[in-house]
Amino acid sequence: MGKRFKLHIDRNAEFELDLAPLLAVMVKLVPVLLVSSAFVQMMIIETELPQVVQDAVKKQEADPNAASISVAVTKSDGVKITLTEKGQAHVEVVGLGQDKQIDYPTLHAKFVALKKSHPAIFKIDIQPDGDVAYKDVVRVMDEARKAREKDLRFPVKDEKSGKETTTDYMFPEIVFGNTMDG
Amino acid sequence: MTRKRFSVPIKKNQSFGLNITSMTDMFTILLVFLLQSFAAGEVQIDPVDGVRLPQSSTEKNPVDGAKLSVSAKEIRFDQKVVALIKDNQVDTAALDAHDNQFIKPLFEELKKLNTDNEKLAKTGKVLLQADENIPYATLRKIMYTASMAGFPNLKLVTTVGN
Repeated sequence: MGKRFKLHIDRNAEFELDLAPLLAVMVKLVPVLLVSSAFVQMMIIETELPQVVQDAVKKQEADPNAASISVAVTKSDGVKITLTEKGQAHVEVVGLGQDKQIDYPTLHAKFVALKKSHPAIFKIDIQPDGDVAYKDVVRVMDEARKAREKDLRFPVKDEKSGKETTTDYMFPEIVFGNTMDG
Repeated sequence: MTRKRFSVPIKKNQSFGLNITSMTDMFTILLVFLLQSFAAGEVQIDPVDGVRLPQSSTEKNPVDGAKLSVSAKEIRFDQKVVALIKDNQVDTAALDAHDNQFIKPLFEELKKLNTDNEKLAKTGKVLLQADENIPYATLRKIMYTASMAGFPNLKLVTTVGN
């Protein structure tokens, strides 16, 4: 009968992991990624909406008597929001702050209040003056598009199922109303 | 009295092991950061020289479309200068004599795209990279001309901000 082989395990033994191949891969990969990386991340503003919101926008467009919101942006007076409902216009003005810039927190609060009172409206008509800078137009669109508070959601009816759901979009459909004025 | 000269004993066949663990750590962190910032969108937009894009909170990745850029000096269509800009206004030489909103060279380039790239033209999408300080009056002329040429879907390119 042969002697049983017993594996000898040294509990205190240490071994060194060879990291050289891993480092070689990384040295090659890092320059490749450095060259192809885009450090300035660019996005686009467009109206790609959830289906429920898209349906609500279509419904608003189909109804000629539906309430509408027009936003005029001027360099001297700030933002004038006009809500037209049942033939009557309600105007609200958000003026300039001390730094001669539009008071954006107040503007956002006005849009939120408007959305709360008129949840069926998703489309607004923006009409900036010719001398308004592009960055100010983009900022006004930002303030109108989505609610900034995470918990703030607005009711929207799913036209297909008839169920009530919620969305954080306020006025995602923004149309430049004075483009074709000439 | 003679002093014994001190000499460092050098073993010619000695080898030493370089500790590369810390370097591997550094590369791992760098690699993770680069992979995270790697642009994986379907369309890659190259930044245009002299154009400082406005910041926006939008989260939509770029899509394919006719690429227009507006800097303080010129309007470009796919890197080709189509009109000059003087004092933030489109140079009058590029405007139509009967319609001061109509940028004729831009219209011609977009019309040409209708025949050269029919698939792209059908989408009617324009990717507009405009400098943040350009007045809306200049942008309106571009929007107006693009709409006339069959490109009404305007996509405003912005940088990611708060």
